[in-house]
Amino acid sequence: MNVMASQPSKTDSVVGAQGLGKTFGGGAVVALEDASFDIRPGSFVSLVGPSGCGKSTLLRLIAGLIERTSGNLQVHGKEVTDPRTDVGMMFQKATLLDWRTAVENVLLPTEVSRAVTKEDQKNAAELLRMVGLKDFLFAFPSQLSGGMQQRVALARLLQTGADVLLLDEPFGALDEFTRERLNVELMRIVKEVQATTLFVTHNIAEAIFLADQVFVMTPRPGRIAKIVDVPFDRPRPLSIQTSPEFNTLVAEVRDILGEDH
Amino acid sequence: MSVHDAIPMPEQRGGLSLRKRRLIIHASIFLGLIALWEICSRLGWLDPLFYPRPSSILHSFWLIYFQNANVWYHLYTTMVLVLAGFIGGSILGIGLGALVGFNAVIRRFLKPYVIVLEATPRIAVAPLLIAALGFGASSKIAIIVLVCFFAPFINTLSGVVNVNEERLELFRSLGASKMQTLRKLVLPDAVPVIMAGERLALTAALSGALVAEFIQRDKGIGSLILVYSRNLNMASAFACIFTLTILGFLIFRGMEWLDHRIAYWKNEAGMERVAAKRAAQMGDLNV
Repeated sequence: MNVMASQPSKTDSVVGAQGLGKTFGGGAVVALEDASFDIRPGSFVSLVGPSGCGKSTLLRLIAGLIERTSGNLQVHGKEVTDPRTDVGMMFQKATLLDWRTAVENVLLPTEVSRAVTKEDQKNAAELLRMVGLKDFLFAFPSQLSGGMQQRVALARLLQTGADVLLLDEPFGALDEFTRERLNVELMRIVKEVQATTLFVTHNIAEAIFLADQVFVMTPRPGRIAKIVDVPFDRPRPLSIQTSPEFNTLVAEVRDILGEDH
Repeated sequence: MSVHDAIPMPEQRGGLSLRKRRLIIHASIFLGLIALWEICSRLGWLDPLFYPRPSSILHSFWLIYFQNANVWYHLYTTMVLVLAGFIGGSILGIGLGALVGFNAVIRRFLKPYVIVLEATPRIAVAPLLIAALGFGASSKIAIIVLVCFFAPFINTLSGVVNVNEERLELFRSLGASKMQTLRKLVLPDAVPVIMAGERLALTAALSGALVAEFIQRDKGIGSLILVYSRNLNMASAFACIFTLTILGFLIFRGMEWLDHRIAYWKNEAGMERVAAKRAAQMGDLNV
């Protein structure tokens, strides 16, 4: 079983898993083994670990993109079987549609589920303003920088109206400065929309900086080695990363991940 | 991805711009070559029977377009043929390409035939088509369909098959249906590569029409060239060939224009046009 700092009550859980596992190739590859956790509403969880630790697999399981091979998994108390509207996902690449303007890209999730109204269009524009793209509502993806494309993808994620947001290394392909800025904005935005967020990264400092809880994951087989609580209030300033408490947490996580990280 | 503005040419201070100077050099080379041709012909170095001088070709232009005005009918005939064959070949190519692209089973079993068909020079089948369909427009159109069907087919197929995995996953995560994924992702994504196939098809259609008219020389520009060459009226034959040059150029430009309109997100002007249109459609987006 996993060592847990605090066991939240069952009723207080947005995403819950008991003994969750996923194997590929008929059991030949164990991507995720025996994951158990409860995620509190509105909390921010980082999944950190080296490649092959099952962090992306866990995210895809919650998104309903792949099927589990063992255990149980619920979102809002309901077993996950398929992709659903209360869970939204964002990828490492912006995956925007080149032939659509920013606002039309943001409207895609709405279009898929129903007819788009004037209110939806206004909402999409408002989300683009929220991510700092008020002057780029009708820009095409090829006219935007990598960071701006990810901002559009974030607005599109919020347009789904999902209150569980899954982010798979969303800013991993961007440069350090852009990534840091977007992380700070992400923290503000998810607080504003009161979403429960799962954030995959392989950067320890980033994982701690953003989260209330860090799932430290180790490979072969992929599993949650430890759940580390981060005691700072959110949103928090970048400068917190230089504090001794922060660095103690970094050291703790690094210690769990072992020498090879 | 995007078409960036050309690097601005450095302007010559006081003198002509680089662009203008280049234009002048181009024009001088062209006129020089024409003059050389004319002189060689007049000096008897080029046999005027087979290599008519530019001045006589120019005269032939005047003859076939205005004095006799016989070229119009043939030009019209060829154009109708090209258009009919091109549209037929496109519908067949894009339709089959999409069908095969969407269905992995059909793709697997059709592949060997596609390879065989690709390796066979399709124009070789032309006499067979005439034997089967008889002389007349239908066999000519069939030849054109055959030669211009392949590029749209292959391009549509590859466009539909090579859909970005990550985008597909996005659509899955949004719970999109198969039909929605097709309409909102697969088809628009394939448009630029389909248009590239259409460009090749139209060029092939023109060549196909000429071959068809060489075989059945009743009418059309191809048969006109054949008749003039047989009568050793080379100046008029050349006038016909240069007509085709101009036609080919216009077709190329026309397709380029169409491509820019349809695959608007591949060029700055297109993006600006569509962005303005969308902004006007959506109107005020302030809350």
